[in-house]
This record gives sequence, C-alpha cells and structure tokens, in this order.
Amino acid sequence: MDDWISIPLVAFPLISSMILLGFVSNTSEKVRKGLVKPIRMACLVFSLLLLVLTTGMFFQYFGDVSWMDIQFNDYEFYATYPWIESLGISWTVGLDALSFPMVWLTTLLLPVTIIATWNEKYGATYFPLLLMMGGALIGVFVSLDLFMFYVFWELTLIPMFFLILKWGGPERKYAAQKFFIYTFTASVIMLLGLITLYFLQEPNTLASAGTMTGRSFSIPELIDSARTANIGDNWFLGKTMQNILFVMLMIGFLVKLPAVPFHTWLPDAHVQAPTGGSMLLAGVMLKMGAYGMFRLPLSLFPHAVYHFQLALMIIGMVSLVWGAIVCLGQTNLKKMVAYSSVSHMGVILIGIATMQPMGWAAALFMMFAHGIISPMLFAVCGAFKHHYHSMEIGAMRGMAKHSPWLATSMMFAWMASLGLPLLAGFVAEIMMIIALWHMISIDGWSILWMVGPALVLALTAAYYLWSMQRTIFEGGDETQPPVSLDGHPVPDISDSEKFAMIILAFFTILFGVMPWIALDMMDDWTQQIFNGLILFVGKGGA
Amino acid sequence: MSTLNTIEPFGEGFISALCPELILFAGLILLIIVPNLGNGKFRVPGTQTKLYWLFGGKRFKQTSDPRLPGWIAVLTLGAAFIQTILSFQNGVERTAIVSEGGTQILMVNAFSRVFELIFFGALTLAAFASMNRLDVKGIGSKISSEELYNNRRQGDFYILMVTCALGMSIVALAQDLFVLFIGLELASFSTYVLVAFFKETKSGTEAGMKYFIVGSVASGVGLYGLSMLYLWAGSLQLDVLASTFAQSGSEPLPLIAIGFVLVGFGFKVSAAPFHFAAPDAYSGSSSPVAGVLATASKAMGIVGILRMLLIVAAPESSTDGTVWLVCLGLLSVITMTWGNLAALGSTNPKRMLAYSSVAHAGYMLAAITAIGAWNWDNSLAGNPSEAAIVVLTALLFHLVVLVAFKLGAFLVLSVLESDGGASKLSSLGGLAKREPFLGVAMFIFMISLAGVPPLAGFMSKLLVIMGIVKVAVGDMGDAISTGSELGLSDVHWVWWLALAMVINSAISVYYYLRVVVVMFFDEPEEGRSGPLPNGWQVRFAILACLIATVFFGVASDKLLEICEIAAKSFNYNWV
Repeated sequence: MDDWISIPLVAFPLISSMILLGFVSNTSEKVRKGLVKPIRMACLVFSLLLLVLTTGMFFQYFGDVSWMDIQFNDYEFYATYPWIESLGISWTVGLDALSFPMVWLTTLLLPVTIIATWNEKYGATYFPLLLMMGGALIGVFVSLDLFMFYVFWELTLIPMFFLILKWGGPERKYAAQKFFIYTFTASVIMLLGLITLYFLQEPNTLASAGTMTGRSFSIPELIDSARTANIGDNWFLGKTMQNILFVMLMIGFLVKLPAVPFHTWLPDAHVQAPTGGSMLLAGVMLKMGAYGMFRLPLSLFPHAVYHFQLALMIIGMVSLVWGAIVCLGQTNLKKMVAYSSVSHMGVILIGIATMQPMGWAAALFMMFAHGIISPMLFAVCGAFKHHYHSMEIGAMRGMAKHSPWLATSMMFAWMASLGLPLLAGFVAEIMMIIALWHMISIDGWSILWMVGPALVLALTAAYYLWSMQRTIFEGGDETQPPVSLDGHPVPDISDSEKFAMIILAFFTILFGVMPWIALDMMDDWTQQIFNGLILFVGKGGA
Repeated sequence: MSTLNTIEPFGEGFISALCPELILFAGLILLIIVPNLGNGKFRVPGTQTKLYWLFGGKRFKQTSDPRLPGWIAVLTLGAAFIQTILSFQNGVERTAIVSEGGTQILMVNAFSRVFELIFFGALTLAAFASMNRLDVKGIGSKISSEELYNNRRQGDFYILMVTCALGMSIVALAQDLFVLFIGLELASFSTYVLVAFFKETKSGTEAGMKYFIVGSVASGVGLYGLSMLYLWAGSLQLDVLASTFAQSGSEPLPLIAIGFVLVGFGFKVSAAPFHFAAPDAYSGSSSPVAGVLATASKAMGIVGILRMLLIVAAPESSTDGTVWLVCLGLLSVITMTWGNLAALGSTNPKRMLAYSSVAHAGYMLAAITAIGAWNWDNSLAGNPSEAAIVVLTALLFHLVVLVAFKLGAFLVLSVLESDGGASKLSSLGGLAKREPFLGVAMFIFMISLAGVPPLAGFMSKLLVIMGIVKVAVGDMGDAISTGSELGLSDVHWVWWLALAMVINSAISVYYYLRVVVVMFFDEPEEGRSGPLPNGWQVRFAILACLIATVFFGVASDKLLEICEIAAKSFNYNWV
C-alpha cells in the first residue's frame, strides 16, 4: 500500500482527463452539448476521489505514516521504478512535509474549482482540462527524479495555455502566448543548469546511475551526495560552479514564482484567464516556483543561498512592496488581486531568504494559506464577472444591498488575504515578521529591513479596504442597480458558488485557528533542514 | 572490434546482406513493368507468327489501375523498412561487400541500418500520404485528358520515390567516395524532379528550378572536393583516407578539399549559408515531398558530414586537424539563429517549417561540433570515446524521431493542400473545429518540434543537449571533488553552443505556438469551413506519426539502445 499509492494520484487524473478529452473531441456538436453534464459530474467525482485519497493519507488510513518523524531527505510513500536505464532516469516518487501539503492543496482545489465554475457555459472540454492541470501539478510535487520533475513542470503549461486561449478575456491570445513563452524560456535555462549539474556528478557513484552516461537524475541521491560534500567551508561542486548553477536554477524558479522584475506575465495571464484557470494558477501553479526553490537550490546549494542571501532578500522585499503599491492604483478588480498575489509571493521569498527555520516555515505556510485564500479571491472576481458582467471596481456599488452572499464572501476573502488574525494568512505573515526580527537581532541585519513589511501591512489593508468600500458599501442611490447590468435584475451568486466559498472559508478559518494541523509537520521539516544542512555548513545559530 | 564478414558482389550471402536494397530494386522493376502489361505482340523475324510478350499494346484492365503504382511503391518501401527492422533482431553483423582487389564498396552495419530505417520510414509514409495528394480518377469512367494525364503520372512519381530510397540507402552503406557520390546523386536527382513534379502550379516549377540549379552547383563543388581528396591521397576508400589524414592532415590541400565537400553536404543538410534554396523548395513542392526533404534528405547529408568529419578528418588523428571545429561551431550558431529568426517572420506554414528545418540542422551541427571536441583536454576530458558515443546516439535518435513529428506536420499540411492550399497561415484557421483529429495531431507535432515534454521532440533535444554538456564538462566532477576550483570558464566552449541551442528553442516556441493559436482560435477561411477532403491513407500516416511522437517521448529506451549500438559501430576505433 505504501509505495504504489502516489502513482494513481498522478496517473489517474492525467489518463482519465485525456480519455475524456479524446472522447469529447471526436463527437459532433449536438452530441457534445448533451455530454457536458455527465462529463462535469464525472470530473467532479474523479477529483473527489483524489481528495479522499490524500485526506486518508494524511489521517494515516493508507499505510503507516508518521508525518512528524520524517527526516530530511526521507520520503513517505516512496517508490522507484527504472524508466530509461541508459540515462539513469527512474520513475521515483515520494512525499515529505514539503510536498504533501501541496498535494493535498491541489486535490482540495480541484473539486472546489469545478464546483465554483459549475454553471459556466464553457462546454465539455473545460472540466477535463482542469483535471489534467491537477494531474500535472500533483506530478510536479510527487516526483523525485529531475527528469520527471522537468517533464511535469512543463506539462502544466499545456492545459493552462488552452484554458486561457479558449475561455479567456479579450486579450487572451496575447496573454496565453506570453505566459507560455516567458515561463518556457526560464524553464529551459533551468534545464541547462540541471543537465550541467547532472554531468558534474562523479561517474558511477550513485546507485541509480545510467548505463550509458554513468550518472543519475535521482533527487534523493543527489541531495545525499551534496550533503556529504557541503560540510564546513567545502562547497558541493566548488564555489564558482555552485554559484553559477544556483543562478541558472533560480532563474527558472524566480520567473515561476513570480518575483519582480520577472512578474510581468502574471497580470496578463490572470486577468485574461477564466475563473477556474485563475484559481488553479494562483492557488497551486505559482507555488511550484517556491517548491522548486526548497527542493533543489536550498537542499543542494546551501552555500550559494548564503552567498546570494542579500540579493534574494532584496528581490523579495521589492516584490512585496512593488506588488502592494501597484495594487493601490488598479481599477480592474482581477488585476488588483493578481498584483496582490505578486506581493504575497514576495513574502515567501523573504521567508526563504531569512535562512531561519521559522522563516522557512513561514514560507511553507504562506504557500499553503495563500493556496486556500487566493482561489477564494479569484472565485469572487469570477462571480463578479459572471453576474455583473464587469470587473471595474467603480462599476458596481452598494453590493451589500443587492447581493449579500457575494458581499460577504468578498469581505471574508479580502480580510483573509490582508492577514486578519484567526484566519490562515495571519499565521504566515506573523511568522515571517518574527523570522525577520530573528535575522535583525541575531544575525545583525539592519533594522531598516523592517520598514518594508511594516509599510506593506498598511498598504495591503489600504487597497483591500478601499476596494471594498467602493464596491460593497458605497451605495449612491440604493435603489439604483449598477450600470453594467443594463436593467436586468440584480443577481446573487448561485448555489454552487456559495458552496465553493463556504468550503474555502471553512478551511481558511480552520487553518487560522488551528494552524498546527499543517504547521507542525512544516516546522519539524524546516528544523530538520536547518540542523541537517545549515549547521553543517557552519552558519546560523537559532 | 567485431569480426568483419566479406562478401563478393553476387556471391554467397549477398542476398541476405543487401535484402532491403534488393527489395527496392525488385519493386522498381515491378513499377516499370506492371503498369505496362498489355497484349503486346512481337513478330518473330523471318516469319509471320506473332508471339505475345505481354509488354505494351492495349493495357490490361487490372494492371493499369492508376492507383496500382502507389500501392506497389508503398508495399516495396514498407517491406524494405520491415526487413531493416528485422535485421536488428539478431544483432547486425558487420558485412562488407568487397570487390576483387579488396576495395570495400559497401558496408552493412548497425549505423547504416539505422539510417536506412530513417530513409525507408520517411519515404513509406510520404508515399502512402501521396496516394491522397496526387489526383487519381477511377478507370472506366469518361475522364478528361487532364485527368488521364494525372493518372499516367502516377508511375513516374512512385518510381522516383523508390529510386530516392535506393540512392539514400547506398549513401548510408557506402565505404568508397565514388559509391557515396553515386548514391547521393541518384537520390538528389530523384528529389529534384519530385520537387518540381506539380508543374501546373507556378510555384512548383520555380521551386524545382531553384532547387535543381543550387543543388547541382553544390554537388559539383562537392565532387571537386572529392576529386581533390583523391588527388592528395591516391585512393577513394574511407579508411585509406583516414590513415593518410592522420599522417599529413595539416596540409592545405586536404583541408580545402574537406571544406568543398562540406559545402556539398551542407547544402543537403540546409546549413547556413548554403540553405537559401531550402525555403523555396519546401514551399513549392507538395507537402509529402517537402517532408521527405526535411527528414530523409537531411539525414543523408548528415551521413556524409559524419563520414567526412569524423572518419576522414578525425579529431584524434592530428593535432591541428580540429581547425574545422571552430568553423563548424560558428556555422551551427549562425544556422540555428538564422533559421529561428527567419521562421519568426514567415507567414507561410511550409516556409516556416523549412526555416525550422534549418534551425534543427543548426542543432545537429552543434552536436557534431561537440563530437569533434571530444579530446579537448587530457586531464579534464574523461573518456573521450564515451562522450563521442553519447553525442552520436543523441544525434541518431534525433534524426529518427524527427521523421515522426516533422513529416507528420507536413502530412497535415498535405491534407490542407488538397483542401485548397496551405500557403498562408490563415489556411490553418479553425482546423481544430473542422477536424479535431488533425488539429490535435498538428498541435502535438508543433509542441514536439518546440521541445515540450513529454514528447519525442523533447527527448531528442534533451539528449543532444546532454551530449554537448557531457563533452564540455567531461570529468570536471572528479576534478572538483578532489579540490580544484573550476567554473564555467573551464568547461569547453561547446557548452555555450548548448546555451545557444536552449535559447533558440525558447525563441522557436513563438512560431510553433502561433500555428496552434491559429488552429484553435481563428475562424476558417472563406469557403473552407466544414470537413476536409477524404482520404484514409494520409490520416493513417498521420496517426502513425502521432503514435510514434508520443511513444518515443515516454518509452524511448529501446530506440536509445539501438542508436547506441549504431553509434558504437560507426567507428570501431572508438569502442
């Protein structure tokens, strides 16, 4: 039970979605119309199956797992099968405290996304594409082989490209191509770095080395050999090479995160994407960048992370502050939420750059919390578009009077995103701030580094509250409905949208009030890395 | 070194060694005879009796079916292909066809068999798809003279396809420069006529003229180079040339000669700056023929370049014999960049695919440069022949799977040509709505060409990059772990070729995605909505290419093994 269960997690959504897509595309128009409802239900059932599977994995119904006792570079549900032996490529999968919350998050978001967009008139290929997206994302998180990791990393681009292209906004052609080409370019540079890393291994030293090349793509083995090499002042692969490889890998992850100044693909992609695409893009796909940073550069090149710590901190701060300032000036609701995502990803980067266990745990928890909150934000925007036919902030006013459910959901999501205590976002932000304080007081950084986060706390509150005031509360004439409705009756959100909002709100509150459900294993793991890596490297004390 | 069997021409073992080529030859004879079977009689001289000899006269009804030559050609090429695959089953024995006096004419080994796989596979698929591309009217109906003319041309087209295959396989097998040239010219002349075949269209004739003239000049220059090699070394045998080069390779005469020969082969491969005829040739010919040019013809050129550069001017044999290395590296970067930038500006899909072919040629030249750099530094290079074998395996794999997705893309364009032309990007408009199978197939071919996982195009590009990085990095890992500080300035400069290749891949994604966007996003052209013309042969060929593209992306182990065996058998001094 233990070792094969991660395979259906990946294979099942991918294969079932491709079968559904193939089935649907070869039918005539009329038949296709009748197929929408059964396929929608089938996709919902498949995604719920996945959620049951991962929740059961958490509660230890499948296999004997103890999430608190996982060592660094030790994986649960680990399995390895040889794939292309001549090159040292194997199908290696496994979960640890870094990847499991992400996998659970993906399986949670899949049914929620399907439910939130239940009534959209998108046709029968939309839901299988969401399923395919989920399968590829789960594949990224469970894979422990560099080749597999890259394959799934790029595979996520294809369904998202189609989601934006077919059902997106007016600039969808531009946005879809920009998204694909921008992130693909960064990923191929990362690929060259991975291949150079591969060939710098000593030949025939790793267990799964290929027969033709003598090297292996396996991540656990690489991390092990890196750990033995990274002791004290010794750098794995030598100082120059490690720095160069670090930069090459980080280019791929920074663009995916996205960090300023490589963030320009995000507003276009988000604004033009349909609601379901945005929910998955913001909820899970952005976290792939942060996940990659933990999995590869942090574990293999800790010296280089210290070497570039200042640069990373600057990039994180700039993302945090820039994202917040730009949000203030937006009039398009979805664009504002997109830039707030950039800002929150800055929090993650700062958390990683602090090089403290608490900072890393902050980054991990922010990945998780933002993954629950931002789909809710985008679902609200989508409901706006769907019911009010406009996304300009000034276009609808006095929403509390006309659509109380939508107004409540919007208020809740907005408050969660700005970090209201007792909601999940707060835990992550407070931990980041404490980690920054550690850095300032113990590692001796200047206190001026606190200015950025403090400023942003205020700015975030500002732009969220201001947009709320303009849309929900400021009424104008209370009996005068918004102009964009053209005289139609004023709608409130449908039942399925309500259901999706309630689920997301429930989990936001749950992880805000009882964060230790996820935080315990994250804390544990980051302490393990710290002890297992950084202390050996000879830095850090806290 | 494995054992070498020698066979006299037409001696024992000849038929089993050269089985695929003899199948082709038999097919060629059938193609000439069968459509001409009739009730012809000849008069015995000196008497009045007339005897049937069945050739000429009023043609028989069964054998003058205009679709018959197509079927004969497809079955011949398919049988040759299958025979080549079967010959891998028990391992390919090195067999040399030797004339009296010991000169090796042809050599059958795993390397030549893999190339024959490429040639026969591409030509079978193209011939199969052409059955829907060349108009044919059924016999017995009242047909116009134009349609009769089209029916009569069937035999010509398919004879040319089979002679092309024959020529290409001789190039793969050749061990003597003269035989190499014969095979090269046989294949080239067939392709010149195939390109010009659709002479009703103006672009067809123009393309044929351009390709023929430029190709002939290139071949002439190549022949001049070969004759200079003969002048210098006194023999046309490849192994004699190799040993002579090892001794006196730094003289100006052989270097100039190799340069000239490279011009000839560079044209075939469509490397810059010899590629100017390629875009016109591809866009003017019919799509299956353009597909053959892009895959099989290119492979033929690569065989020539490999033999020239790696056997004759082998880098290990003379200290400054690697003067061609820098030239080739520069040429590869120019080729890939030129191809990608020109493709960005093309709106004609076939022209765009032609320029993408040029870019792919650049990637392959970068791989060949890496092979040449294998012995760059005694302390860091590691085991040089190992690195060379990895790169050569990657190159062979790339050429094999290129047939799947490049020819597949051309075949989809072939269906569109029957629909009313494929010379504008808007011809592809709305293809996903009109026929989802073709839309999805073209999408898969496009992203495979771009190098997106998990398809064969990604696998092949990854392997080429891996090969180049392996040569560049060599054994630096060992050196670093024992304490030396080495950085990017210490790797061999071919690493920067890999970076150029990677960046060019990213550039190329734009024009491949442009096709996808047009197919899925735009509306069909005026008067072209609705399903596309029928024809199960071309769709079957597209399906075969599609399956191959996906299969070799996920399960490429077997093919990699075969390519590795072929790479090892290329130069026995390496193993």
